[in-house]
Amino acid sequence: MQGNINVHKRLVLVFLVLTSCLAIILLRLAWLQFVRGGELQQKALSNRLNVMPVAAQRGVIYDRNRHELAVSIESDYIGAFPPEIKDSGKAQEIANTLGSILGLPAQKILEKITSNTGFEFVERQVDYAKAQQIKNLVKEKKLPGIEVVPESRRYYPNGPLAAQVLGFCGIDNQGLEGIEAMYDKELAGEPGKIVMEFDALGHEIPRATHRYIPPQNGHSLVLTIDQTIQYIAERELDKIMASPTNPKKANIIIMDPKTGEILAMASRPAFDPNNFNKYPNSVWGNPLVRDAYEPGSAFKIITAAAALEEGVVKPGDRFYDPGYIKVGPDTINCWLPGGHGSETFVEGVKNSCNPVFVQTALRLEEKKTGLFYNYIRAFGFGQPTGIDLTGEGTGLLIPQQELKPINIATIGIGQGIAVTPLQLVTAVSAVANGGQLVRPHLVKEILDDKGNVLKRFEPEVERQVISPETARQLRDMLETVVSEGTGRNAYIPGYRVGGKTGTAQKAGPGGYMEGKYVASFVGMAPVNDPRLVALVTIDEPKGYPYYGGTLAAPIFQRVVADALHYLKVPPQYDSKQGSEEKPAAPVTVPNVTGKDLAAARAELEKAGLAARVEGDSGKVIAQVPKAGAVVPAGTKVILYLQGDPNRPRVPDVNSLRVTEAAEVLAAYGLQLVPEGTGQAGEQNPIPGTIVTPGSSVRVKFHEPAQEVLGP
Amino acid sequence: MFERRLWRNLDYYFVGGVIALLAIGLVVLNSASANVMPDPYYFVKKQLIWILFGLVGLVAVLSIDYEQLKHYHLPLYALNIIMLAAVALVGHEAKGAQRWINLGFFLLQPSEFAKTITVITLACFLDKRQGKLNCWQDLVIPFLYVAVPLVLILKQPDLGTALVLLAILFGMLYVSGANWKLLLIIFGGGLLLTGLALFAHFHFGLPLPLQDYQMRRLVVFLNPYNDGKGGTGEGYHVIQSQIAIGSGGWWGVGLHQGSQVQLNFLPEAHTDFIFSVVGEELGFVRTLGIIALYFLILYRMVRIAGQAKDMFGALLVGGVASMFAFHILVNIGMTTGIMPVAGIPLPLFSYGGSAMLANMLALGLVLNVNLRRQKILF
Repeated sequence: MQGNINVHKRLVLVFLVLTSCLAIILLRLAWLQFVRGGELQQKALSNRLNVMPVAAQRGVIYDRNRHELAVSIESDYIGAFPPEIKDSGKAQEIANTLGSILGLPAQKILEKITSNTGFEFVERQVDYAKAQQIKNLVKEKKLPGIEVVPESRRYYPNGPLAAQVLGFCGIDNQGLEGIEAMYDKELAGEPGKIVMEFDALGHEIPRATHRYIPPQNGHSLVLTIDQTIQYIAERELDKIMASPTNPKKANIIIMDPKTGEILAMASRPAFDPNNFNKYPNSVWGNPLVRDAYEPGSAFKIITAAAALEEGVVKPGDRFYDPGYIKVGPDTINCWLPGGHGSETFVEGVKNSCNPVFVQTALRLEEKKTGLFYNYIRAFGFGQPTGIDLTGEGTGLLIPQQELKPINIATIGIGQGIAVTPLQLVTAVSAVANGGQLVRPHLVKEILDDKGNVLKRFEPEVERQVISPETARQLRDMLETVVSEGTGRNAYIPGYRVGGKTGTAQKAGPGGYMEGKYVASFVGMAPVNDPRLVALVTIDEPKGYPYYGGTLAAPIFQRVVADALHYLKVPPQYDSKQGSEEKPAAPVTVPNVTGKDLAAARAELEKAGLAARVEGDSGKVIAQVPKAGAVVPAGTKVILYLQGDPNRPRVPDVNSLRVTEAAEVLAAYGLQLVPEGTGQAGEQNPIPGTIVTPGSSVRVKFHEPAQEVLGP
Repeated sequence: MFERRLWRNLDYYFVGGVIALLAIGLVVLNSASANVMPDPYYFVKKQLIWILFGLVGLVAVLSIDYEQLKHYHLPLYALNIIMLAAVALVGHEAKGAQRWINLGFFLLQPSEFAKTITVITLACFLDKRQGKLNCWQDLVIPFLYVAVPLVLILKQPDLGTALVLLAILFGMLYVSGANWKLLLIIFGGGLLLTGLALFAHFHFGLPLPLQDYQMRRLVVFLNPYNDGKGGTGEGYHVIQSQIAIGSGGWWGVGLHQGSQVQLNFLPEAHTDFIFSVVGEELGFVRTLGIIALYFLILYRMVRIAGQAKDMFGALLVGGVASMFAFHILVNIGMTTGIMPVAGIPLPLFSYGGSAMLANMLALGLVLNVNLRRQKILF
């Protein structure tokens, strides 16, 4: 045959191509059967296991006093087993019935209940009445392959209260925003299931095992939020939103400066998490942790803290403000036309004087390049605070390498830097608590479903930013802002309040925007031992005035006053006297019995105690309180002097307790005859009477009357 | 008619391989179809009958010298067209396609026979054009020759069988000595164009003259879970098939034991997806044995083609080999998830009367060439 060799050659090639194709198939077979064998076997197994999900109860979110902020309530879903439905041949009928009860198009239901899967949701979170209706039909066996299964739905009993903190859940109870999203794993629990073995047509396989795997309910959270303080804050926000000022947004955040616990975090406009999808998604997030703004003068606290700590200014340093200051070619004006003239640094803080703070910031930079920025970073700006919420922002710092002197100058007065409200309140808390930057947090405890504490979140100190002394100095200055300066509207009668106003023009494309401001006030109370640090920001108030001192400070005043009263923080009426008062440190009373008066006095003084002397001569034979007692420093210790042992004078035991009086009298060789209990009152013979040793002294004791708090 | 000396030429390996495959195929078919009809042997019995009919046909084909077929070139070509046209006109419709002619006792599927007939007519056609297939113009004519039945089959619609015709055409052109570089360019270019067209269709909405489900089937093997229904639509078959094969392991779970097959998760287990049953119930080692048997018969066909006494014989066997090879590779490739879901059965294994009959006739052609490989000396 012609071309036989050629044909032969070609056939060999065909053979080779064939061989390689078969080799590929072999490799693929090996891949499926060995490499993926386990996984595919598992799939084959789950193919014939029909699974009915059983929802786990999502954990409760409580406020710090265990008031419920978010709970789960039971509802039902309608589930379908398509193979069973197809087998029954009544798919269309079932779809029509369900469609008319649920108010859904029958065609859509038909598609679902005849799909190629083992299980389908027909409708989730069905109303009680509708679910009941379907349940009855299922019971009457009119709906083969349909099941009504309980599931739970999230409910927020307080509606919009703390909505941006709590967030909300989606249809599958998965946390989508806020705490619900951040702690979704803890809250969600493990869903359980009912497993049944079925074939592809949904016939139950005889003798197959049915297994019930119970759900593991989610953990509950105890927040640091105090429902009452949160309510107070939101009440004030609603008021300002409804007022003619009608700002675009308004925020309040209140923090315990010592622990970093957020007591309230409120924002307007808000939404109701029960119906979150009826609100624009722009209000779902939490602007207090997410959005940055220019803090303006409120940021002067940070400038002052850094400058005082570095010693580049002293409180008494004198400045002169002609109404403006030149930085290179640029001029920065003081907010007060004509300026504040000659003033000390303290007065500069009180007046919120721009030239003073510009100079202060420049002095820091002069001392060491980058020094001011180091403090800004140490105070936590430019990075997330690490709060336990999703979507935290970092604020905005000009990159250090692009920093010019004019930037340093304007940052000194809070312009050219953007911070989140949470960052600012955390930084000011460091001033309030003696210089420590604490990590703000929202969750106090995680509880299991029986209420046992699984985890407790302790306060976390990030770093010491300034010394306690600097912090104290600065707090006193901030107090003058409220008592005499720009923040007078924040003054709360009966409490020492410190703080700083801020009014910043909003920046937009191409510079600052005319008529658009953020008015703010950040402050703390009581200044000598701050319990609360609060920040109020009013975004784009309408009309005049738009100052932090006129808009934000009064809100701060009302919120913090109510919160202090609610927290039963004792009022201090005289703020001047209060500033000298220091809480006395506890000291141990030394044993001075048996010593002479001079030695006893010296020893008491060394321990930080005072003395009151009874009797006129001789050694100390008794003391009240006794040696070893722990008392506040400065407490007066009563020293009883012996006098003539043979002719004892009756000592004054007024206000001593029974046992104390008995011991003192015994030291003089006298006998107590008590009447009643409590503190000593009248005694007979009266103090100073000379009696014979062994005489009896009758003393009446009274329970003291209820002490009245305060003058 | 059958001269004794012809039998000396018989390729026993080839015959043995075919018999072994038919026997194993019946055993697997029994397991795959036991749950489909009330009578668990329903499909086995019918398949056995078709094998017997096929044997009769095979013997009939053997009885005439294959060279006689040259005289029936045009009548056969006409028969092919008439049968396919009849399907279009009076065809029986099922599963969304019109592929059958109802003969009362039997649903005849002309497209199955079209493959075998095309092998014969194309062999006649190409035999006359040996050495004249070296440029583009030469190659256009054979393509047009095959295009007539191909378009009729595509209209049914039956994309898989249409592709088989193309495979036969390429295989036989190659055997006939056509310019292999041109063939390679046409093959590669066609593949590339198809890929690009599908890509453009799915990403940019390019309109193509194919049904939506056909195009989805062509690409769904790439990611069967991405079929628009989360793996319950066009991807379902592919997923279930891979699950079945993957569950087999070394030795399989045993005949009648595979949960994928026996609980009906694997669709078309007794027809297009019978290879998945092999994978699940018989395991890797035995699957390897079956693939080896297929390889053996393909190899022997190539050998027989090489030993054919003339180009006509070589073309006949080459065509049948191309048809079988394409069926085997694409079917196994489909079940293992490395090729598109073309919907073509596994020869000698899958249930199907027309296919079995047509395949047996094709094997008869091979044996015919095998037996008559030496020129008879006068």
